[in-house]
Amino acid sequence: MTTQAAAMSGMENPVGKNGTWWFLASEIPIFGGLIAAYIVMRLGSAGWSDASSHLNFIVALINTFLLLTSSMTIVMAYAAVHRNALKRGAHFLGLTILLGLGFLGMKAFEYSTEIGHGFLPSSGIFWSFYYGMTGLHALHVLAGIIVNFTLWLQATNGSLAHHPHRVELAGLYWHLVDIIWIFLFPLLYLA
Amino acid sequence: MNSAEERHYLIIWLWLVVLVAISVGAASVLPKVQALALVFSIAIVKAVLVARHYMHLKNEKPIYYAMALVPLAFIILFLFGLFPDFVYHVTKP
Repeated sequence: MTTQAAAMSGMENPVGKNGTWWFLASEIPIFGGLIAAYIVMRLGSAGWSDASSHLNFIVALINTFLLLTSSMTIVMAYAAVHRNALKRGAHFLGLTILLGLGFLGMKAFEYSTEIGHGFLPSSGIFWSFYYGMTGLHALHVLAGIIVNFTLWLQATNGSLAHHPHRVELAGLYWHLVDIIWIFLFPLLYLA
Repeated sequence: MNSAEERHYLIIWLWLVVLVAISVGAASVLPKVQALALVFSIAIVKAVLVARHYMHLKNEKPIYYAMALVPLAFIILFLFGLFPDFVYHVTKP
C-alpha cells in the first residue's frame, strides 16, 4: 500500500493533518502573545475595569453559546461524514456556518453599539486590545466559515465522500477558534 | 441521534454550557480574586475538554500534544518573563 493510500484508508494520519497542526501551532503564539501582553498591561495599570464595564456582556454570552454549539455541530459533521452519511454531514456543516454567521452578526452589533458610544480603537489601551484581539478572532471565524461553506458545497454535491478527512481538518481549525474565544470571553468580559 | 459518538459529543457540549454558567455565576457572586481564579481555571478545563474530545487529542500521538504545548510553554515563559515589568511598575496618579 502506498503512503497516500495508507493515509486515505485511515492507517496513517490523513493527508494534511500534520500541516494543519503546524498551522494551529503557529496560531498559538499569535493569540497567546496578544493575551499575555493584555494580562501584563492590565496588571500594570489601573482603570481597565471601568473600560471593560462598557462592553455588552449579554451579547458576549450569547456569542459564547453560539461558538460552543458550533464546535459540537462541526464534530457531529465529522462523525457523520466518516460514517458516509453525507446528507447528515451537510446539515451539521450548514448549522456550523449559520452559528458562525450568528457570531459575526452579534459581534457586528456589539461593535456598532460601542462605536456609537464613542469607544474606538484609539480610545485607550483597553480598547486597542479589545478591537485588536476580537477583530483578529472574528477574521478567523470568517475564514472558518468560508472553509466550512466550501465543504458544505462538496458534501451537497457528493464529492466530499472521496475526502472525508477534510472535515476533520476544518474541525481542528474551528475548535482552535472556539478555544481562543474560551479565553477571550473571561479576559474581556468577566475579569 | 445516530451513534454513541454523537451522544458523547452532545454530553461534552452540555458540560461546556454548564461550565460557562458556573463561570458567569462565580463572576457575579464571589469576591474578585476568588472569582478570577475560578473563572480562569474553568476556562482551562473547557479548553482541555474541547482539545481532548472535539479535536480528538486524547487518541492522538504525542507529537500533536507537543505541537500544541511547546508554543504554549513559550507564551507562559514570555508572560512570567514580563512579570517584573508590572510588579515593580508604579502607576502614576
